[in-house]
Amino acid sequence: MIEVKSLVKTFDGFRALDGATLKLENGSVYGLMGPNGAGKTTLLRHITGVYRQDEGEILIDGEKVWENVAVKARIASIPDDWFFYGQATIKEMMQLYKGLYPSFSVERYNALKEAFPIDENKNIKYLSKGMQKQVAFWLALSSMPDYMILDEPVDGLDPVMRRRVWGLMMEDVSSRGTTVLVSSHNLRELEDVCDHVGIMNHGKVVLERSLLELQDNMVKLQIVFKEGEEPELLGVPVLHDSKMGRVHTMIVRMCPESALNAVKRYEPVVAEAVPLTLEEIFVYEMGGLDNEINSILI
Amino acid sequence: MIRLNYRDSKPIYEQIEEAFKKLIISGALKKDERLPSVRALATQLSINPNTIQRAYNELENEGYLYSLKGKGNFVSGLKDNSSEKIEILIGEIAERMKEAEFLGMSFDELVLRVKEAMG
Repeated sequence: MIEVKSLVKTFDGFRALDGATLKLENGSVYGLMGPNGAGKTTLLRHITGVYRQDEGEILIDGEKVWENVAVKARIASIPDDWFFYGQATIKEMMQLYKGLYPSFSVERYNALKEAFPIDENKNIKYLSKGMQKQVAFWLALSSMPDYMILDEPVDGLDPVMRRRVWGLMMEDVSSRGTTVLVSSHNLRELEDVCDHVGIMNHGKVVLERSLLELQDNMVKLQIVFKEGEEPELLGVPVLHDSKMGRVHTMIVRMCPESALNAVKRYEPVVAEAVPLTLEEIFVYEMGGLDNEINSILI
Repeated sequence: MIRLNYRDSKPIYEQIEEAFKKLIISGALKKDERLPSVRALATQLSINPNTIQRAYNELENEGYLYSLKGKGNFVSGLKDNSSEKIEILIGEIAERMKEAEFLGMSFDELVLRVKEAMG
């Protein structure tokens, strides 16, 4: 279990983390989203023990991470600027990983050659950005970690490789109970692979939910009422209501069935419940809609 | 075998559920046949194993599947739950009929045309 409690980190007077709190059960896949500059990377760098917090606490299975080799040996990380030695080949980096991770499996490394068709004797420096990412995944997966901390990991990977990498990750999650914390702007992809999501903004985690809960408790209703009727909906928690022609689009904090039941008595001409995508949840939670409208008005 | 449609507004677990229902009802998956393991399907589709598990749980609740501990999920016989299934189908057909009515067809006309279409 990863527990981050009220983390504060200040860079040159700027509070990059401002009381960030997050909890991640073992075996779950947690997607961290948030606008640029929200503090996602800073948070991940604390969890992998790169940064030391000013205030707050990070516990992995109850132990502190900072300068704790035993805990860090259980965490594989793919940061956005993945490190390799300037002259190293893939095979040489593999030797380094093998030394760092007691759980490293050479067998797995060899098996994964099929998934990552790159010559292991190549100098990593001469590989393309996407191929370097592949190498990072190759070595991280071979390390057989309990925790994977990934910062925008599939950036630069081609669509086939993205699917393959996520497939391999999901296999690890289901067979070994690997815990994954991943930050990404690709909400479509997060929706597939995550069971929990967190939204960060201004150095805080502002929303943290299981995806099931989100899908079951929030729904988009598209309703057309009878001509001339605009009933006040009683007992329906409407978060957002927009109207185009006669069609109302409402974001309602209810499960789809009860939302439809609740509006039935107003005898709408059309009533449809559509589940929200992560992208929509993100937009509503961030008040992005208002921003959008403002920018058009200006 | 299972294809996900990312433009579909239905949640993924529902899409998986429906895909398996189709395979079972059409007989492509036979009684007592083993379904792919959660792990295999999660790997193949690159989606969270919990999502697959949820689809399997729902299928089991609706009587399409039975699970044996440590062995996996298997297709149940169809007969014992056919009445329930018919209820579901009627709901779906009614939904479609409403759509057609919305497009301006009368109920009688609809029934007639559907009869024709069924041969």
